Amino acid sequence: MKKVGIARLPLANKDKPGPSTKIGPLDIIIFFILLIYALAVIFPFYYLFVVSITPTEIYANNPSLLFTPKVTFEAYQNVYTNQAIWNGFGITMILLIGGTAYQLFFTVITGYAMSRNNWFGKNFVMNMILVTMFFGGGLIPYYLLIKSLGMLDTIWVMIIPGAIDTFNMLLMRNYFASLPKELEESAKVDGANDVQIFVKIFLPLSLPMLATIGLFFAVGNWNSWYNGMLFNHSQNLKTLQQVLQDIIVTKSSTIPNPHPNQINDDSLKNAAIFFTILPMMCFYPFCQRYFVKGIVVGAIKG
Amino acid sequence: MEKVLIKTKQSFKFSLKKRFLNSRFLMLMIIPAIIFYAVFNYVPMYGVLLSFSRYSPRLGLMGSIFQNWIGFQNFEFIFNFPDFWNAFKNTLIIGSIKVVISFISAVTVALLINEIRMRFFKKGVQIIVTFPHFLSWVVVASLFKMLFDETGSINHMLEMAGMSKVLFFGNPKLFLTLIFSSDIWKEAGWSSIIYIATMAGISPDLYEAADIDGASRLQKIWHITLPGIRPTAILLLIMSVGGVLGAGFDQIFNLTGSLHNGRVMDSVQIIDTLIYQYTFQSKTITEGQATAVGMFKSLVGFALVITTDRIAKACGERGII
Repeated sequence: MKKVGIARLPLANKDKPGPSTKIGPLDIIIFFILLIYALAVIFPFYYLFVVSITPTEIYANNPSLLFTPKVTFEAYQNVYTNQAIWNGFGITMILLIGGTAYQLFFTVITGYAMSRNNWFGKNFVMNMILVTMFFGGGLIPYYLLIKSLGMLDTIWVMIIPGAIDTFNMLLMRNYFASLPKELEESAKVDGANDVQIFVKIFLPLSLPMLATIGLFFAVGNWNSWYNGMLFNHSQNLKTLQQVLQDIIVTKSSTIPNPHPNQINDDSLKNAAIFFTILPMMCFYPFCQRYFVKGIVVGAIKG
Repeated sequence: MEKVLIKTKQSFKFSLKKRFLNSRFLMLMIIPAIIFYAVFNYVPMYGVLLSFSRYSPRLGLMGSIFQNWIGFQNFEFIFNFPDFWNAFKNTLIIGSIKVVISFISAVTVALLINEIRMRFFKKGVQIIVTFPHFLSWVVVASLFKMLFDETGSINHMLEMAGMSKVLFFGNPKLFLTLIFSSDIWKEAGWSSIIYIATMAGISPDLYEAADIDGASRLQKIWHITLPGIRPTAILLLIMSVGGVLGAGFDQIFNLTGSLHNGRVMDSVQIIDTLIYQYTFQSKTITEGQATAVGMFKSLVGFALVITTDRIAKACGERGII
């Protein structure tokens, strides 16, 4: 209110304008810095895409192009018909759907149990969980454990151990704990048990938080490659990220190129990268606020 | 008096039983968690004892710990292993530079986004710059490879323009620059969010008071915004110190083509990549020795966190422990 009042006052001294809503030089400088930053983030994706749709004869002579006069989607056709990429896509989809549902289920029920105060041994379990955030066994004992459980070279190794993510579990716990206590008390008076209270009252109220955590899990599963690299050596179990890794990072495999005169290998590789990013690019603008919410809530309360 | 005491004891017992019965569903819900944490966290935690023994596949993890106890031999071996100290030095250097630059870049981006007034532009920039955080290092390394590799687009352009190639992936200094800049490219936008949220929480009264006093925008940033995010910044800095020894396995692994880039490997070999390379790729150190390296890393990391926490508390800040 004060600000409006002051802004309306006639300025006696024109050289020293007070708080104004006018756009000053500083605004323009900030605008351009941010514009350049945003372009620097976008540019690799854009350039990648342009190269992926450029025919060989144009790219070979002029690689510095920002747009192409002639468009070909042949590279995408090759990616589309590539067995390894589709196989990786299949494995990744299994992780994305099955893994996300599995992680969400166990993380949420644990978070709920941790948010209720009235059970025996809660503090002890909580402390045991918190300890794992600071101490771990390291890579080798973990590897030997997975080996002795017989999970090497199975898809399970990429799903089962990740059941509960401690950070997301704590997010969920804090959210449940922030809902009014009266909800639980009045349901108890009506004779509901803990499972009924959880499923019928608390879950429907926490849908936004479930979406946030579910999205974090989904991104993690889409990006999964580390567990696969460490524990699986069969070609059939490679995730999409691992297939991409083979093609570009380690160059241990290539996409067969039947028409090297029409499409070059760069276009093929770029098309493969773009194929991996595209789903994220499509969904991200609509999901961004959920991610932001998760990180902000987590940082303030955790 | 005695009666009362007995009575309370009885009622306590009764309430314990009642509490137990009342919470049976909750306890049922927690059972999977107990199993998962016990198996996947506590068994490996116990497995660090492997650093004092020699692993033999026949005996398994537990059997090896009990029957092949060799004391500090593994530690003696790794402390005399030249690559270990190089990796330790690299980890500290890369890790601490990353903490500093990611802190500076996040705060800078947050300040810029906080100061911009066009709401639509602000929203758009925020969506764009937070996006790379959600890409895996496989994808980011692929992007950087396509652009900066010896046969990548930049070098292709330089060649066409008649200039000599720049070996970003062949020169240790340029490669380190690439490591740091790809880290900024990927994470600065996302890390800025927490600071933007904190800035949004600063009381507008302070800015109004500064307006009345005739403060300029830069003065307001310096005297209100930056002090306003100080507690958050210090908390996040302390937390990131715990990650210094992480230094970025995923990034270095992918940017070096699964650790096969011999020309730069010496200057970017960190503890995590050392463990992976020597136990899984070249198999030149034993499981016990690799566990010893991991244990050393955890101990140093823990000491770092404690020290930073103490320093922060000594400077009058809120610590985390």
